[in-house]
Parts: sequence; C-alpha cells; structure tokens
Amino acid sequence: MSFLSGKAKVLLGAMSLAVWAGAAAAESRTLIVVQSAEPVGLDAMQNNLQHSLNVAFNIIDRLFEPLEDGGVAPGLAASWEFPDDQTLVVRMKPGLTFHNGEPVNAEAVRYSFDRLVSADLASPHAGRMSQIESARVVDDLTIEFKTKAPFAPILHLMSYYLPIVPPKATAAMEKDAFNRAPIGAGPYKLESWDRGGDVVLTAFDGYWGDKPGYDRVIFRSIPEESARVASFLAGESGIVEGISVRSQKTIEKSGKGSLTDSMGVMPYVGLNTLEGPFTDERVRQAVNYAVNRQLINDALFNGRGILAAGPISPRTFGADLSLKPYPHDPAKAKALLAEAGFPNGFETTLSYPTNMTQVGEQAQAIAADLEQVGIKVTLQPLDRAVMWDGYKSRKFQMYIYWWDDNPEPDRYMYSLFNSASRDYYYKNADTDAILNLGRSTLARDERARIYGEIDRKLYAEAPWLYLYIVPETYAVAKDVAYTGRRDGFLFARFAKPATP
Amino acid sequence: MSRYPLRRLLHAVLIVAGISVISFFFLHLTGDPVGLILPQDATREQIETLRRDLRLDEPILAQYLHFVTSALQGDMGRSIYTREPVLGLILERLPATLELALTALALSLVIAIPMGVIAALRRGGWLDTISMTLALFGLSMPHFWLGIMLIMLFSVQLNWLPTSGRGTWEQLIMPSVALGASLVALFARLTRSAMLEVLGQDYVRTARAKGLSETMVVGKHALRNALIPLVTVAAMEFGFLLGGAVIIETVFAWPGVGRLIVQSILDRDYPVVQAAVMMLAIVFVVVNLAVDLLYTWLDPNISLGRTDK
Repeated sequence: MSFLSGKAKVLLGAMSLAVWAGAAAAESRTLIVVQSAEPVGLDAMQNNLQHSLNVAFNIIDRLFEPLEDGGVAPGLAASWEFPDDQTLVVRMKPGLTFHNGEPVNAEAVRYSFDRLVSADLASPHAGRMSQIESARVVDDLTIEFKTKAPFAPILHLMSYYLPIVPPKATAAMEKDAFNRAPIGAGPYKLESWDRGGDVVLTAFDGYWGDKPGYDRVIFRSIPEESARVASFLAGESGIVEGISVRSQKTIEKSGKGSLTDSMGVMPYVGLNTLEGPFTDERVRQAVNYAVNRQLINDALFNGRGILAAGPISPRTFGADLSLKPYPHDPAKAKALLAEAGFPNGFETTLSYPTNMTQVGEQAQAIAADLEQVGIKVTLQPLDRAVMWDGYKSRKFQMYIYWWDDNPEPDRYMYSLFNSASRDYYYKNADTDAILNLGRSTLARDERARIYGEIDRKLYAEAPWLYLYIVPETYAVAKDVAYTGRRDGFLFARFAKPATP
Repeated sequence: MSRYPLRRLLHAVLIVAGISVISFFFLHLTGDPVGLILPQDATREQIETLRRDLRLDEPILAQYLHFVTSALQGDMGRSIYTREPVLGLILERLPATLELALTALALSLVIAIPMGVIAALRRGGWLDTISMTLALFGLSMPHFWLGIMLIMLFSVQLNWLPTSGRGTWEQLIMPSVALGASLVALFARLTRSAMLEVLGQDYVRTARAKGLSETMVVGKHALRNALIPLVTVAAMEFGFLLGGAVIIETVFAWPGVGRLIVQSILDRDYPVVQAAVMMLAIVFVVVNLAVDLLYTWLDPNISLGRTDK
C-alpha cells in the first residue's frame, strides 16, 4: 500500500476493520467441521459409515434422542409406554413438520419403518430392526410397534437407526436421489452438497428443540491427516475429526484450540477358543497376565485410554466394576502355560487389519510381551477386506479387532458372543442363554445384573485378551464450545460459539 | 504406411482389454466388501442377501463376463455404496481432475520453457547451473511431500492460501504447483537440450548472419523448432499427470477422480474403481495414440513400425 497517501491508508484501514468486524459477526454463526472422509450418502437409512451419519443425523431426526448412558429422551416422540413386554406405543409431538412442510405424524413413522425394512432399500440398519414385527398407526399422532419377542434395546436402536422421513417427498424420489438430497425434520436442512467438496447445512426454523448455536454448518472432508491438522492450525475449521495421537501435541501446543474425546474404540485380541492352543482356558488367561496394557496405554495413547477388565466397557451399564483388569504378571502367565502343557510356550500368529489406528504398534507391543512368556508371535497385518474374509473363514489364532464403546451392552455382546450371531472362534450355550435373557428383559436394573453375570463369566473364561478403550479425538477451535460424545456422532446443534 | 494407424489402434484396444482383466481380477482378489458395507452387528440374512445382490456368490469368471458384457453396452454398473450409476459418479468428478492436470501442465510449461531457453543460451553459466539444479529438485521431490510443505508454508505460516478444497483460483495454486513441479524439471531439461541442438543448426547461423536481432533468432527461428519434441512429450505426460493427481487430490482434498479412486479402493467399491481405472486407461491410451499418429503425420521421416527400409 506504499503507493497510497497517509490519509488513504488510514481510511482503508478503518474500512477493512469494519469489513473484518462484519465478516467476523457473520462467520461466527457458521461452523466448519472437517472430517477425514466424505459422506457416501446423506440418507440416514441408507448409510452406516460414521462420516455419513455424522452429517445425516443433523438432517434427519428420530423418535428418540440417544443419551450417553444408553437411555433415551424424547425426540419427535413426546412420550412412550410398554403396555406389555412386546408392545411399544409412541405418542408424537403435535404440530411438527418436515423441512418440506409435510406433517410429522404416525403415518410418517409407519412409512419410515416400512421403507427401512423393505428389501428394495436394503438398508444396513435392517438387521437392527429385525426384532420389530410391525408398525401400526393408531391415530394421527400415535403409533404402535410390536416386537417378535421382548426386546430391551429397542429404544436405543430406534434413537439412531429409525430415521423418520417425509412419506410423500421420499416416495417421489429415487433412492439414490434421496441419498444425495435427503429431507428430514432435524435441526438442520440440506442447503447444498457439492460432491467431493462441502456439504452445507442451514438451521431449520421448525425444529422442535432449542435453536442451534450456528445458523450454518459446513462439513468438509480432508483425507490426509497432516492437511487436516494444517487446516485447523490455519484457523479454517471449527471442529476437526480424526486427530491421531501423533498430532495431539501439535494441536495442544498451537494454542488454537483444544482436544475433546469422542467415541471410544474398544480394541481386543480375539483368541480362537475352538481350535489350537487357545482352547485351554489357562492359556487364554496366561495371555491376559502376560500383556502390560497399562504400558501400552501410556506409550501409545498418552495414557488417555481406559483399561478393560472384561468384555463390557467399564463405562457401560452392566459392567461389573468390581472386576479389576488382569495385572501384568509374567511369572503367573508362565506358570499357567506350564500347567496347560506348554512349559516352553508355542508359536502362533496375530492377525490385524491395517486400517485400525496405531494397530501395528499395539500388535508389536503385545507380541513382545507374549515373547517374554515363551509365546512366539508372528505378526500378520492385513488389509481390512482381506482381514474380514480371514476372520469369517476361521483362519485366525489371534486377531485384533475392535468395536465402538457402545453405551448399550447388547449391541456388541450379542453380536460378538452369541453363537446365533457369530460362532467363528467362540461358542458357548450358557453364554447364549444369558445374552438372550439380557436382551429380552426390559427392566434396566435387572438387565444390569444379567450383564454383570456375563461380564464375570467371560472375564474368567478369557475368550479375548482384554485391552483398553481408546477415545477418538476431535480438535475444537477456541471460538467453538463443543464436547465430544461417547457415541461418536457429531450432533452439530450441541456446538455453540464461544468467546475465545 | 496406412496399415500403421490400424495396427496402433489394435494395440490400444488390446491394452485396454488387458487392463480390464488385470484390474478386475486383482480387485476381486483383495477381499469381500460385504463386511465393510454392512455394520458389525448385521444379521447373517443381511449378509447373504447383499452377497447375492452384488453377485459375489457367483464364480469370478461369471462376474467378469457379466462386467464385460454390460460395459460393452455402456453400463459400467452401480456403486455398491451409493447405488448410483458409476459412469455418472466419475463424469461428475472428471472436470475437477482435468482442471487440475491442465493447470499443472500449463503452469509447468510456462515456467519450464523460459528456464530451458535461458539455460541453453547461458550454457555452462551460473543461470544454467541454477535453473538445472532447481529442476533437479523439482524432479526429486515426491508430490506428496511437496504438497504438505506448501501447505505448511503458505497456509499455516503465512496464511496466504487456503489449505484445501476447490472453487476459487487460490485453491488451485498449491495443488497444481505440487503436481507440476516434477514436470518443470523434465520440460526445462528437454527445452534446454532441444534449444542447444537447434542453436547449432545452419539456419540459425544464417539467421544471425542476416543480422536479425537475437530475440528474433531465438524466439522465432530456434524456439519454434525446439518446441516440437516438447509438445509431444507434454501430451504424453498428460497421462502421468492424471495418475499423479490421485495423490495430490488426496493431500489437497481436491474433488477429482483420483480421490474417488482412493476412497473407493479403501471401501472396496469395485464397480467405481474398475470404471475409474478403465477411464484413466482409455484417456492415457487415446492421448498416446493421438500423439503417435500426429507425430508420424508431422514428420514423415519417422516411419515407426517399418523396418524394411
């Protein structure tokens, strides 16, 4: 600006300051969220990947709001009751509309349910709704669900996986068109999605809840982590998903914002209890004594992880909190191995999918600990699709997999330990019976007791080498107030502008 | 001579067919996408149904034949995630990739030609040394690394340019520089050697002897002739640019075909990967074919494929 006179400079300075202030006021109501992958689609019914649902759940609302403890609060529903243990009656909030003006009523819920379970849609959530036999409209605002058997996780599952969509508009659109431009009754409506680029959402005036803190939310995807971190450091983004341990210090030191823990991931080492050395319970326990999980947690996760005792996350209701994680005791591990007939240990293979965070380091640490007690481990890193093939084909002796740290114990306990769901590496009739009881008992206290029992049983049987729960981390800019959720979903209406 | 184009065309078709076989079988050897599409708590019934829908329960040869017969009728299949026609998904992304590749190409030519000319005119001088050293740097730096370094410098430290995305001209700068850097090296060296050759020719000496200004000599007589090989190589390099775009698009979140391929490979979205690979292969083969034919036409002295001379 050296070619300008002094006065002009002052004037220009004042103008740009005014422009800047105006821009700041306008921008402060736009939240930019950066994810590591682009949504595949935005129809909450047709998608299951986190990056897709993180956006879709802001657009398409459900009957219930999921709570962090596994319970639910009213969403589009005003109230609900169980007249008997196979019937759920839901009463809707009156006077609500979808983004396109269609009424939110019992008919919309029935339509949504039928659409979700239809073979034509092939929704990934169809299996999650498979315990529900029917949805019947009672009156304009009342709907009744019948389940095939008493099914406790129904409210929890519906709070995510029964998205309510407007019947007329949805039926008029091809399913892939709806997947690109969905309509719901959520706090935000879709303004635009430039595929490969930004998804822009704007606040919906007719939303039943509090007005969201931001008028607009932009979801952007940057697959490369260093570029993602750079966008945060450059002040371009408010919330950034996918911050690995390696980048956490950079974010903290930058002074640009803070870290918040989102969903926990529960990695575990599955042991083949049906074939090979791990058929012996003592060998499985030995493995649990041999590994120093605290050290791994400190070294690899900056100590942010929570050690697991049994299969149920200590944050989930039903976990027996009196169980203590297996202590690191190599001598005891050796003694157990000798008792089981392996005084000199044995050789085995540890398979793991390479797409898990820091999985290579974890596998190496586990292998090194096992080596100390005589178990010689060959590491077998596998691409995730190959890993899945091998897993299903019962090819593994030891394998690392994970589940999200879900607040509803049935979600992973039934899926992973009930032989009706999976019997690749573990099968136990007593376990099946307890898990069946757990999902068919409606009273929460009673359920907690049942899951406590299975937690203790599997702690002793040790079909897994129990590890830890590792939080995923989001970076949050100074001018944004946002706390990560345990279920890992990014409900933008909980984010508020903050004074830095 | 007239048989030559025909034979090249046949080659091109064979190459494309070969690529379709290789990419199809390799892709399908790398695992079952069903476990990735469905949630971890999917029921067995869900898994079986999806496998049937995607024809994964059929023998791989039957799957390939189905793919080929549909593709020949112009149907490249649907994405197994979004269920949209694959061709639309790719065509939607193609403009972004072409924009990036063409800008990178243009940028590298604009920088490389003056560099090469100066280097040739000042052969052995410090300008020559500097520009050729710089060119070597451009050639040796991996795209990926250069991209990240540019972001760290111009976005994080200086705050001049946005880190990623597409839409404004500012967003185009860093990705095209990162993509074009290695080409600058190639083109500059090529220009330099071509210029050196041309400058030694008789007609250049004649032009100088006629008393033409040095600008006229270099600009009109020498450079024009030196550019012929450059144009050929530039056209051929275009195919490599499309390949390089795969990495650069990922670094800069550029919404092109490259990023679509990377994401689809991770998701095992076979139809998308297959179609995108085919599309890039076809562009590559067609450009090469065109250049070859153009070259024989431009310069009849080059009678490729004829040994009975």
